[in-house]
Amino acid sequence: MLAGQILNGIVTGAMYALVAIGFSLVIGTLDKLNFAHSEVFMVGGFIAVASVSWLPWQLALIVIFLAGGLLGLATEFIAFRRFQTTEGKVTAALASMALGLIITDLVHKVWGTEPVPLKLDSPWLQTGQTFFGATVLNLQLVILAVAFVLMALLHILLQKTRMGRQIRALAESTVSASLLGIHVRRVTQAVFFLSSALAAVGGLLVALRGGAASSEIGLSFGLKSLAIMAIGGMGDLRGALVGGLLIGVLEALMFQMGLGRLVEMTAWVTLFAVLIFLPNGLFGGGIHAREQRA
Amino acid sequence: MTDKAVLSVSALCKYFGGVRALDGLELEVRQGEILGIVGPNGAGKTALINTITGFYRATSGRVVLNSTDITELPMHAISRLGVSRTFQNIRLFKRMSVLENVLVAYKQHTTHLFTSVFRSGSNRAEQAQAMHWLELLQLADKANQSAASLSYGDARRLEIARALAGKPQLLLLDEPAAGMNESETRQLITDIQGLKDQVGAILLVEHDMHLIRQLSDRLVTMDAGKKIAEGTPAAVLSHPDVLRAYLGED
Amino acid sequence: MIGDQLFFTGINVLLAWSVYLVLMTGSLSFAQGTFMAIGCYAAGVLTVNFGWPLLPATLSGALLSCVVAAVVGWPALRLRGVYLILVTIGITFCGRVLLENVEYIGGVAGFGGMVGASLTSVFIAVGLVGAALFWLSRTPLQRSFDAVREDDRVAASLGINVPVVRLIGFCGGAFIAAVAGSLYGHYMSFVRPESFDILLSVYVVLYVVLGGVNNMWGALLGATVMTLLPEYFRVLAQWRPSVFGLAILLMLLFKPQGLLSFRTLSSRWKKA
Repeated sequence: MLAGQILNGIVTGAMYALVAIGFSLVIGTLDKLNFAHSEVFMVGGFIAVASVSWLPWQLALIVIFLAGGLLGLATEFIAFRRFQTTEGKVTAALASMALGLIITDLVHKVWGTEPVPLKLDSPWLQTGQTFFGATVLNLQLVILAVAFVLMALLHILLQKTRMGRQIRALAESTVSASLLGIHVRRVTQAVFFLSSALAAVGGLLVALRGGAASSEIGLSFGLKSLAIMAIGGMGDLRGALVGGLLIGVLEALMFQMGLGRLVEMTAWVTLFAVLIFLPNGLFGGGIHAREQRA
Repeated sequence: MTDKAVLSVSALCKYFGGVRALDGLELEVRQGEILGIVGPNGAGKTALINTITGFYRATSGRVVLNSTDITELPMHAISRLGVSRTFQNIRLFKRMSVLENVLVAYKQHTTHLFTSVFRSGSNRAEQAQAMHWLELLQLADKANQSAASLSYGDARRLEIARALAGKPQLLLLDEPAAGMNESETRQLITDIQGLKDQVGAILLVEHDMHLIRQLSDRLVTMDAGKKIAEGTPAAVLSHPDVLRAYLGED
Repeated sequence: MIGDQLFFTGINVLLAWSVYLVLMTGSLSFAQGTFMAIGCYAAGVLTVNFGWPLLPATLSGALLSCVVAAVVGWPALRLRGVYLILVTIGITFCGRVLLENVEYIGGVAGFGGMVGASLTSVFIAVGLVGAALFWLSRTPLQRSFDAVREDDRVAASLGINVPVVRLIGFCGGAFIAAVAGSLYGHYMSFVRPESFDILLSVYVVLYVVLGGVNNMWGALLGATVMTLLPEYFRVLAQWRPSVFGLAILLMLLFKPQGLLSFRTLSSRWKKA
């Protein structure tokens, strides 16, 4: 049973990581906290509900990716374009929070407040494989695969492509980047597009796993990913991955130990504990670390 | 001017990874004097002020204020013992009035945080004290103006007035003349000279050689985090090491 | 019912003021939901299970909330702004989970039987808290708050103990939120942990953002407008989150300091 729980935890962790990486990307490169991110994540599940009935799942995946990306562009335009200064950072975060409220309300108006079932027409997904004496559904393996493939693609994009280099340059310094001729706005938009697209796919995966798209998960799952990002270290993508897997497994262990009713606290208590000893998160200490003084 | 040291710094080091901002610095500031500090950019002058005031935590070494070791103390504690500073780039409270900027500082030197709650905001005596500092720096008539509306020269002087609140033992001025024109600088020299008997001692960091020569009782030159020479301005400024390190670069 | 509306307006005003107090020291707190809950449940247990009268029960609940805020806040308030926001969000999530798991106070099913709060008690509370904030704005402590909020490093260099100032704001905010919680519980007579969730905490912050962040009247205005307006315009009530979100967005785009953006001076020099 333990192996099964841990595998469960890894699957959950991969989904956490996907969403957390999106958060981290935006704060790492643009130093902005996008609170609409968790709502875009939530919408992913609903776009899935809408598209899966008339599209094959591969196309639906692409649709969700693109829709998420477009939402990201919209978020950037509405909540962040205007607030570029240092004081503007808090204003932008609050604006993104307000945008999140609107998105959630719109979802409620279209789909109601109850969870909407999401089922793929594929018995194969419901059959299982056995590893280490535990059964893992193919569905879970698919989720894991999609999550990791996307993270790998992101890594390749950042390390090997021109856009990726520009994103990394922007992360170092906006001023230097623009001096090097990098079109800051275009790169900003690309970052928002990518992070929101990843979030939307995360939402799809969570909805698939749970069998339904729910509007509640934005606040619980989504904000938890924010905590995970901070645990890993703001702006650090490895940290988001490690943090996600860590929390996923910790939560699974909580269930295993019969503490399932307290599971929602795991990420936050971990955050608190980590910050006391490592004020910049696990992998923090890069350009975002500042001289801490009593 | 006596030989009693208000501040003494020994073997002070501040390292940022590989960068040695301060590298074994030794100096002292004596009662009643103005000690000038000069040096090329990157010599560690601002790092010195930051470390003395607790803005930076020293990597090693000691800072002693009137026989109290302040090396490990937090910023507010050092301030309450009587150390005040101005900043190289102006950091006034723009949303407050000129008078309020000074009153903020003054309160904390003289009252405990909780008892300050129970004093009326318009305490006559303390306002009068704050006005005294503003008068010394020709800002009295602007007392109720917003700090954001001040001219550059006035803003620099307000920084100083704010640092004076509470009659500090040691006043640290970080390039107070930066960006000032001729006449403003001349006025500043007069102002700072007038401060000598108002505070315990002054440590003055500056680039403007004319100002430093006029004001300093003693002069210290720094380079790469270390002290190079020390003495009267005339003696120091003709020292070959100094000419090589500092003036030779201009 | 007009009585109900005014009651909830009063509660929201108190909650908005609790956010405002923390905001005055430069910190943003999304934990008011939990502090409200602590006040509600603690006072509720004292009145229902031990027969205490409402006033001492409320004050005890508020004190407990203060203590919890101090314990949790002391390490948290030393963190950089963003991390602090996250920790306050965490407080709200953990608070709700803990409340749902304590059978003594009913767990998920809720806790009931609380009576005693009326429109009068809310008016009195609002009056007292408002007077306290007004008086505070004329004391030197207000200046210390302003200094810490505007530039905490400079404030420290001027002798202000920044962590303590932040803690005072945070605990004060927790106290006020707890009072609101107790009154809320003793009016509704029955509460559940889910009433004190992150959405409440977010809404309360946005009331202040809408009304104005620089003075206490902004919080009052924002809470009043957002509680009462939907009662009179049905369409607003149905689309409350969207309208609210839109209002906030527009406010932030055009007047980021909020509707009432003036700052009150804490002293003026009068020539003799």
